[in-house]
Amino acid sequence: MADAPPLLDVRGLSLGYATARGTVRALDGVTLAIRRGAAMGLVGESGSGKSSVVLALLGLLGKEAALAADRLDFAGEDLRVAAPRLRGLRIGTVFQDPAAALNPALRIGLQVAEPLVQHRGLSARAAHGRAVELLAEMGIPRAAAVAQAYPHQLSGGMKQRAVIATALACEPELLLLDEPTTALDVTVEAQILDLLERLRAERGVSMLLVSHNLGIVDRLCDGLTVLYAGRVVESGATEALLAAPRHPYTRGLLAALPRADRGRIGRLAPIPGSLPDLTRPDPGCNFRPRCPFAAAGCEAPQALHPLDARHVACHRAEMLHDAAWPAPDAAAADRVPLGGTLLEVADLARGFRLGRGLFRRQAEVRAVDGVSFSLRRGEVLGLVGESGCGKSTLGRLVLRLIAADRGSIRFDGSPVPAMPPDGFRRRAQIVFQNPDTSLNPRQTVDVALRRPLERFGLAHGAAATREVERLLDLVRLTPAYRPRYPHQMSGGEKQRIGIARALASRPDFLVCDEAVSALDVSVQAAVLNLLEDLRDTLGVAYLFISHDIGVVSHIADRIAVMYRGAIVEEGPAAAVLAPPYHPYTGALLSAVPVVGARGRAAARTRLKGDVSSAPTEGGCRFAHRCPAERGTVCRTQAPPVQQAGPGHAIACHIPVAELARAPAALAVAE
Amino acid sequence: MAGFLLRRLGSLAFVLWAMTVLVFAIVHLLPGSVAHMILGEYATNEAIATLEAKLGLNDPLPVQYWRWFSGLLGGDFGQSLTMERPAGPVILEALGRSAVLAGVSIVLVAVIGVSLGIHSAVHKGSATDRALTLGQYFFIAVPEFFWCILVILFFAVWLGWLPATGYTPIADGGVTGWAKHLVLPVSTLVLGLIAHVSRLTRSSMLEAIESRYVLAARAKGLPERLVLRRHALPNALLPTITVLAVDIGILIGGIVVVESVFAYPGLGRMLVYAIDNQDLPLMMGGMIVITAVYALANLAADILYAVLNPRIRVGGTAA
Amino acid sequence: MSGAAGAATPARRRLPRTLVIGLVIVGVIALLAALGPWIAPHDPDAFAMRMRLRPPSLARPFGTDEFGRDVFSRVLAGAHYSLLMGFGATAISLAIGVPLGLLAALHRGWVEEVIMRGVDLMISLPPVLLGLLILAVTEPGLFKTILAVGLVYVPIMTRLARAVALELLAENFVEAARARGEGAWHILAREIMPNAWPPLIVETALRITFAILLGSALSFLGLGPQPPASEWGLMIAESRPFIAEAPWIGLAPGLCLCLLLIAVNVAGEGLRDLLDPRLRGRGHG
Repeated sequence: MADAPPLLDVRGLSLGYATARGTVRALDGVTLAIRRGAAMGLVGESGSGKSSVVLALLGLLGKEAALAADRLDFAGEDLRVAAPRLRGLRIGTVFQDPAAALNPALRIGLQVAEPLVQHRGLSARAAHGRAVELLAEMGIPRAAAVAQAYPHQLSGGMKQRAVIATALACEPELLLLDEPTTALDVTVEAQILDLLERLRAERGVSMLLVSHNLGIVDRLCDGLTVLYAGRVVESGATEALLAAPRHPYTRGLLAALPRADRGRIGRLAPIPGSLPDLTRPDPGCNFRPRCPFAAAGCEAPQALHPLDARHVACHRAEMLHDAAWPAPDAAAADRVPLGGTLLEVADLARGFRLGRGLFRRQAEVRAVDGVSFSLRRGEVLGLVGESGCGKSTLGRLVLRLIAADRGSIRFDGSPVPAMPPDGFRRRAQIVFQNPDTSLNPRQTVDVALRRPLERFGLAHGAAATREVERLLDLVRLTPAYRPRYPHQMSGGEKQRIGIARALASRPDFLVCDEAVSALDVSVQAAVLNLLEDLRDTLGVAYLFISHDIGVVSHIADRIAVMYRGAIVEEGPAAAVLAPPYHPYTGALLSAVPVVGARGRAAARTRLKGDVSSAPTEGGCRFAHRCPAERGTVCRTQAPPVQQAGPGHAIACHIPVAELARAPAALAVAE
Repeated sequence: MAGFLLRRLGSLAFVLWAMTVLVFAIVHLLPGSVAHMILGEYATNEAIATLEAKLGLNDPLPVQYWRWFSGLLGGDFGQSLTMERPAGPVILEALGRSAVLAGVSIVLVAVIGVSLGIHSAVHKGSATDRALTLGQYFFIAVPEFFWCILVILFFAVWLGWLPATGYTPIADGGVTGWAKHLVLPVSTLVLGLIAHVSRLTRSSMLEAIESRYVLAARAKGLPERLVLRRHALPNALLPTITVLAVDIGILIGGIVVVESVFAYPGLGRMLVYAIDNQDLPLMMGGMIVITAVYALANLAADILYAVLNPRIRVGGTAA
Repeated sequence: MSGAAGAATPARRRLPRTLVIGLVIVGVIALLAALGPWIAPHDPDAFAMRMRLRPPSLARPFGTDEFGRDVFSRVLAGAHYSLLMGFGATAISLAIGVPLGLLAALHRGWVEEVIMRGVDLMISLPPVLLGLLILAVTEPGLFKTILAVGLVYVPIMTRLARAVALELLAENFVEAARARGEGAWHILAREIMPNAWPPLIVETALRITFAILLGSALSFLGLGPQPPASEWGLMIAESRPFIAEAPWIGLAPGLCLCLLLIAVNVAGEGLRDLLDPRLRGRGHG
């Protein structure tokens, strides 16, 4: 068995891109092997070069890329020669964003059928018939109608199913999956992962899954290769590797990961520093500058060597067997105790009209539809939900950045009018998701941080300069950042500036709108720790909006779950993360890919369709997708709000006692 | 799709009506008496009064506007002041001859411009691509009227191959004689536009070639020719249609100039004649007709765009 | 670390060669236009009937025209017309179009509706027609041509300014400014405009080519500066009867016009390379 040649055998794969700054060494001696029927996960943060591997295998790198390899074999054939003949036929590919990977001008059926016509010589008619079958096999209802549709008529999940159908059309032996679920919502992601799992079991197709998400790889792959800055640092069986990582980078990655199944732990352990400059590859270990275990000998080239049933590229891995990853700095101070009610929101609502014009019917989407909640000083309310559920709109409504149709907001005891006074503006601020657009590209850090101080008359001149430096220090940056422009900083640094700007006016309340979602895990941990420190020392309250349940469960005191404009469940974080919960919460939690949770399959609840599927008028807005739906009552009557515990409310027709019998979605079966 | 057509037709009608108001307003509200303008500086008061009475210029403006507008609706463009003929037939004859010029030109621009653009994009960085790019710089920047001078000098004066100016109906000169008079005007009209179209086709084709769906099509193992033809081209042509619509506007400008130089008796030359001779009914009618043609051409481009773009043609969701 | 350090000292962006070449040629033409009256070897309007239709020579580098006027001196004296039409008309379209576009972007609702419907209307006329319409009923002249050409391009500038402003208004940093309670003026002046001018200036530069083209075409049709002005389009029009016997009368101003147009066009392209946001930040990610 072990002697059988691997299906995919890559050794010493290197890749250089010529750029104005010099040659970027995107891949450096990557070695990777996949046995027939096996699934290998290729994991790395942005800049690790993981997507380049897929393009290199397919022979689809641009002309400016220089590729070298000791071996690049697929089933005994050199891919450098054979790739054009093999791709689409024996190697299927699924790219990241299905909306971009499907041709907007062609019908789905044609796109699925194309490889069949090309490689199998089927007639257009026969190929179309087979395409419809394939679509049905991928779990697409009404496959014949979908085959006639254009991509824009399908939801994201359906598009990705069509892409997978295309990749599988010629029954390939190897499936290349490049971040196949990254653009999708978590419940849809779970459906796609189920599908891939089933396909692997039924068809025995081998997979190379490229992802930044360790949880997804853990679910789908038996092998795992960790890539750092173009080099393989550790490679072996997924389970063993994740249970006991041996390379410092893999250890750091796991230590930095906030995990829903662990709930609130102390501080996360970020990896300091950032990616090395790939134009000047370090002949020694390139993780060395960020490694807490770096010592003499690290400047020598590191070869992958076997250790504990895996391969590690670290000469100290064996020595460090018992050394723990350094514990993160303890919380800077004891947490300021929660204070009285700071923010009270009642029945907030906002609709958006879709399309307009004389001859077009105006449809209205109720983005936020009667939301109420309150927040105490120093408290963190996590707001979770899938895209389009209205969570970002709610964050902006609360700050009066967009006008509400109805509802009231009280801040520190007084009502907040539609045009709020400066006092409210000073005390309620916002941190955005995308560090690239949250800073004005034409303003230096100094200008950006000084403005709120001057705007609210907090400091001027030299005092303002001192204050800017204090703010930089608060977000762990040096005064040297003052003259920098956004393009001169990394994503994590920009995000810190965004936080510093929000903190400049010494607010009591911050809306964090997906504030860490765009960051890599190692950087995300640092920013999360920072936010926690600020909460603990300054007593700032957060409305923490995120689609990432792991992050929210790490930072939130209470969690509110939003679905189609309304909060369906709200309560203390620990209570929301365990039964009884709203069927939607249950489905959401069971959809989250968690590291080391293979035994979880039993507890999986899967939702039909996605958020955009058929709307329900009246009744429960979740009824059409609810796995526990109770017939007409759910479809016609608004669900009652039930108390499931102290401060824990669930809007559902099903009695709490019954909801409590739901399996714990996050618990790991040992 | 039906709603889309209805909306576009509605806005077309509105644009045409607004144009009649605009033309009328500019002609009648600008300082100076219309009759004075027609008869010139030294006209006697008596002559002006007679003309004003003849043209109904003493009526209130809304009445005058309504008289003109209701005439237009019935196809009556009024009486030409200088030709002793109704303006309508004059305009129509000229329109027909200009339509030939414009039609031949736009077809050539579309076919040659798009082909060159695609060729450049597919062979990006090649010698042909670089030569075409350089040519585009040059041809976009040379004014039509100067091209006219150059081609007349070269082909008519020095080589004597083609007639410099004029027009021969097919009935008189046969197809060859008629076509000979078209060659020079058409070639001056299309040079700049081909450069423009090919340049924008090149960039939209490049964008399509670099898209994710073309990468996905290559990953399916399709041959490059099929990838380009089936996957890149339909998406690259959409922006080209918009460019062609814009270029029809530029083409109309070119026609005014080119017809004047080549003494080609079309709508553009008629318009310049009407302006030079202050033949108001002819001028106003000509402008309305040109606007209508332009609006219809844009409508055609919009419809073509919608037909080729499934996101507009097919709405709704399937699953 | 290294990423930030490398970016902290950005390599000074080199000016595109096209921009330098284009600007130098335009600059030389502008200089000659300004110095024209002093350096012209002859009076551009002085008739010399004994010198009619002389071909180019050392003394008369561009020859003489049908009235014996020195073509070189006339071309020199006419240079400022094209420059004025190009830059003047573009300035007008910028001065009217950009505020209108910004207004429409900042005041969604009926203000925007009125402005944008007006723009739609103006854009549904072929450009030349709008110019002809304005010039047809008034006495032609340089400033009316400039005005007419400028007005033709107002709607394009309005649309562009609105689109750019709307895009920027949706950016998070503008939202952050609103979360600070900044007024509309601050947002416009400090957040929008510093980011809006690159695309606007690129479009402006490319517009100048079209403005010169349209202006000289209108002059060619007799709707611009009137004789004896030596506007280049007009000179070409007047040369037509003598095209066979004295082609230099038309070729000299025509070639100069082409040179100017190509230079402006090339400079505009260079400016686009320099400022286009899509090319920005390359070499960092």
